[in-house]
Amino acid sequence: MHDRRLVLLLLVPSLAITLLMAMYPLGYSLLVSFRDWRLAKSPEPGPFVGWENYKLLLTDDPEFLASALVTLKFVVANVCVTLLVAMVIAVVLQRAGRLYSITRTLLIIPFVMSPALIGVSLRFMLNPEYGVLHSMAAGVVPTLKNTVWLSDGDWAMVALVMADVWHWAPYMALVLLGGLASVPKDSIEAAQVDGASAWRAFFTIVLPQMKPVIAVVLVLKTVFALKTFDMVYTLTRGGPGASTQTLAYQIYTTGFQFYDMGYAAAAAYLLTAVLMVLAGFYVRLMFASERSGERAAKGAGHD
Amino acid sequence: MTSRRAGPAGFAAALIAWCVIFAVVFPIAWIALTSIKEPRDVYALALVFTPTLDNFRTVFEHPWNLGDKLLNSIVVASVTVAVAIPVGTMAAYGFSRFSFPGKRLLFVLIIATQFVPAAIVVLPYYLMFRELDLLDSYAGLVLVNLSIVLPYAVWMIKGFIDAVPIEMEESAVIDGASRLRALREIVVPAALPGLITAALFCFTLTWNEFLFALILTKQKALTLPVGLISFHTERGDLWELMAAAGVMITLPMFLLSLVFQKHFINSLTSGAVR
Repeated sequence: MHDRRLVLLLLVPSLAITLLMAMYPLGYSLLVSFRDWRLAKSPEPGPFVGWENYKLLLTDDPEFLASALVTLKFVVANVCVTLLVAMVIAVVLQRAGRLYSITRTLLIIPFVMSPALIGVSLRFMLNPEYGVLHSMAAGVVPTLKNTVWLSDGDWAMVALVMADVWHWAPYMALVLLGGLASVPKDSIEAAQVDGASAWRAFFTIVLPQMKPVIAVVLVLKTVFALKTFDMVYTLTRGGPGASTQTLAYQIYTTGFQFYDMGYAAAAAYLLTAVLMVLAGFYVRLMFASERSGERAAKGAGHD
Repeated sequence: MTSRRAGPAGFAAALIAWCVIFAVVFPIAWIALTSIKEPRDVYALALVFTPTLDNFRTVFEHPWNLGDKLLNSIVVASVTVAVAIPVGTMAAYGFSRFSFPGKRLLFVLIIATQFVPAAIVVLPYYLMFRELDLLDSYAGLVLVNLSIVLPYAVWMIKGFIDAVPIEMEESAVIDGASRLRALREIVVPAALPGLITAALFCFTLTWNEFLFALILTKQKALTLPVGLISFHTERGDLWELMAAAGVMITLPMFLLSLVFQKHFINSLTSGAVR
């Protein structure tokens, strides 16, 4: 009918761009992942090798497994710290007053900064000779004076997490502030009174009501953490050794520095599989909150 | 009530707020300071120094040519937004106002494309672009950035159109206007703050996009974020120049987000929850 043609006209441009630009490379990569293809030797995909790439990745590639472990470490630390920091910021900044409203407006700034720039800047500021963060840290804790942050696997990981938390936690705090705004005022006030009861009120009254928002933050942050590339590239380059080499970065080096395309595609597919599971969760959450929102709106209409 | 409560909790809250301010402002201020320092002041961690604009002059000269990269970034981000917003608005209107079979599935698919890791799509893009002669071109970068920002645009704008009362356009349609005219003359003006927000968000993503620009450009279409890594040279890092480039990347986003920050914040947060 008339309407149907109109809908088609409205949707086709967006669908064409997003779906084609996703489906074509996904399909192509899937085919490549079953082939042995060294780009340095041949510009055309090499022979079909079945599940060989996948088998090798999962059973006989310590580097891939190490990267998977690094990724896991990075994602878990990142998501936990981001959520914790964002929650503290949100709870503090939902207070009334000039100081808090000014701080709230600053929260958007780290989010609009280029992640590549954040990575480079942190590398600069952690330099043991002239890095300002290094000299501040060494000023507070003298034993850190001789630490060469990015040459130590554990500290490099800390730096990477720190950079990403700086970029994301303020934004997630804004999201949580949005969630806090929908919690009834009296439960928040109960949690603002001084003393031990405030903590209990926060954990038993406020937090449960924020579950949907927290879930969204968790899933979104996990996805973005799994995709992190810019900061790894500009801050640590996966080093020292392979101690901060996340999967996203390793797939990049396999493909574009070692030109092992089939292998890179197979590794990328394994990462995609994890992300798709998370996407499923996220879509569930999205529609769950939409439905409860509709129900709330309907309920209000009946009153 | 709030202002009178100055007990330990109030003190702790104020302290945390100040920490947040410091944590956000200090690194940015430090990079800004570094950009107007001479190299010896950079290495001396100087707080008192004679400011210079030499770094900004140097980065625009050969071999850095930051002007070209700035132009590339502006062109790519502007064209991407100029396409994404109208196209995204049309789709958002379709998803918001019509029901049709497969609607939910299509909407989910569009969002789901953003869960695909860049690492998996960038190789096929590279090969496809090599075939189509799109490597190192504006057209190629715009296409890739469109595929990144369009899902967000559709999603955000749909939220804003959902909030426009349907009665407004129904009366216009009854008066003889077509649906498309109602969209243009009634829905778009009513949802304009939302469109601006979405445009800003898409601009930010494109402006800061790094991975695709790194792999799919070489020289002609190089953007600012990729330009940053050129200050990491064989002779070491040229921090004062990197800082100057960093200021150039940040300043436009800084101004845009402060000008529109109220809309920006409201809709970003509600969009993510929706």
